[in-house]
Amino acid sequence: MEKTIIVCLMLFLPAFAMVISLTVQKRNNEARGHGHGIGHRHGSWMAIDYFAFSSKLRRWNATFKLAFTLVIIFLCIGLNNAFVSAVIIVSMFYMVVAVGGLSTRDYISVLSIPIAFILISVIAIIVDFSKLPVGDFRIFIGFGYLYSSISMLFNGLRLMLKIIAAVSALQFMILTTPPSEVILVIRKMHVPNKFADLMNMIYRYIFILLDAFSKMKDAAEARLGYRDFKTFCRTFGGTAGNVLVLSLKKAEAYYDAMESRCYDGELLFLEEEKKISLRTIISATLFIFYLLLIWFFTK
Amino acid sequence: MSKKQKAILTISAIIALAFGIVPGAGAMHIMEGYLPPTYCIAWGAICLPFLAMGWFSIKKTLDKNKKSITMLAIAGAYVFVLSSLKIPSVTGSCSHMTGTGLGAILFGASSVSILGLIVLIFQAILLAHGGLTTLGANTFSMAVAGPFVAICIYKLCQKLKVSKAVSVFLAAAIGDLFTYCVTSMQLALAYPSAEGGVMASAIKFLAVFAPTQLPLAIVEGILTVLIIMGLETYAKSELTEIGFIKVV
Repeated sequence: MEKTIIVCLMLFLPAFAMVISLTVQKRNNEARGHGHGIGHRHGSWMAIDYFAFSSKLRRWNATFKLAFTLVIIFLCIGLNNAFVSAVIIVSMFYMVVAVGGLSTRDYISVLSIPIAFILISVIAIIVDFSKLPVGDFRIFIGFGYLYSSISMLFNGLRLMLKIIAAVSALQFMILTTPPSEVILVIRKMHVPNKFADLMNMIYRYIFILLDAFSKMKDAAEARLGYRDFKTFCRTFGGTAGNVLVLSLKKAEAYYDAMESRCYDGELLFLEEEKKISLRTIISATLFIFYLLLIWFFTK
Repeated sequence: MSKKQKAILTISAIIALAFGIVPGAGAMHIMEGYLPPTYCIAWGAICLPFLAMGWFSIKKTLDKNKKSITMLAIAGAYVFVLSSLKIPSVTGSCSHMTGTGLGAILFGASSVSILGLIVLIFQAILLAHGGLTTLGANTFSMAVAGPFVAICIYKLCQKLKVSKAVSVFLAAAIGDLFTYCVTSMQLALAYPSAEGGVMASAIKFLAVFAPTQLPLAIVEGILTVLIIMGLETYAKSELTEIGFIKVV
């Protein structure tokens, strides 16, 4: 098993090194105003929406993309194989960045969002507690031992690889498919129409509310409203309450606006027809078989 | 070492542990790929009755008044926006509110389950928090268990004639803590410890997440109280309109 992991890491490391070098190179080239490293950036929550709309893979059929993503994720967690995970990570990166045209830096910055959760939860898996001095590494903490062993570390590494692979597969969908298209797919899955309508409206209102929030925040910030923790709490509470009141007041106006445009209980949007080419289906099937083959030969 | 010195040492150690090493983690969404397939399906199935209940409640509201759909949508969007805003945690790093406690207090626990599900889907596809296969588990901890406990505590406090600020604080903070406990349980069930089984594993998960989640729960409680107070000052009429407890 150890050997597998090592081979797997070898597979994975060159790709990672390439990514890092690309990122560094790009940052050096661009030298933007105030450099944010890999990680959280201003308005990263909006960024995913923006990336999805500007991806070249947007013209692919959304149902196909969602189905493909789900199959890949289930293969990834079902097969639980380090090789499969590594291949998924590399190929999803290739799809989104090389084919979809997203910059490497943006891809990594989105991928690093869940990193905090992954690291913390893996700690809980690779460290265990015992009254007896067992395991390969241990620390005495007064009433027992915190210990870890090589096999536990490898387990943690495998789990981490699996999570990153599953997250990459999810990213393949979210970075190439705008939410409105995802909602259309959900609508086709025979969930109640009202549910899809509610999703559509919530998606639209999110941006209205965020806009209101950021305006109020700027106004408050200019008046030292976020000076320290105490003022922050007061300002935040006031702003949040105010946004809710304003938008509830507008709710009726929104409804009237919809009704005056012939809304009669169902929201219908024009759907771009996106055909799936036979080539795409065949290559997706081949890819899935490839993953299964890898699993078969390395299990 | 005297007894007093020992006590000081223990307390300072706890403070150091709680506030020392905190990366900027948000509310506890279980990431995509963390749970084995059987758990994904099981948690999804457990959520179904709650979601059905929520759906019927929303449907009743909509049948009674068609116009309330925009109100519900705004409530959902509001919970999402609140959960996407960065708030400073005590350590200086940033984290996010869950917002579901406030949602439950304002709009009622049953409709929050459906709104919470939608919010979680959007958090997965717009923010990359959480995931599609872990949607069931996340829905149970954040959209069902947390709000349900929050509303119970809120009602209990009202019965006991506790002041509004205190009851809102307790409801939001304990709802948040309960979400954190449920998530730790979910993680522990999927990855039991080799020696102590599920319980030992649950304690481990509770311990590693405590530094991020405990301060967050307190901050969330404070902010929720301030939001409710702001609402009460400026929007008495709107609050009576949404019934404060139930939407429209």
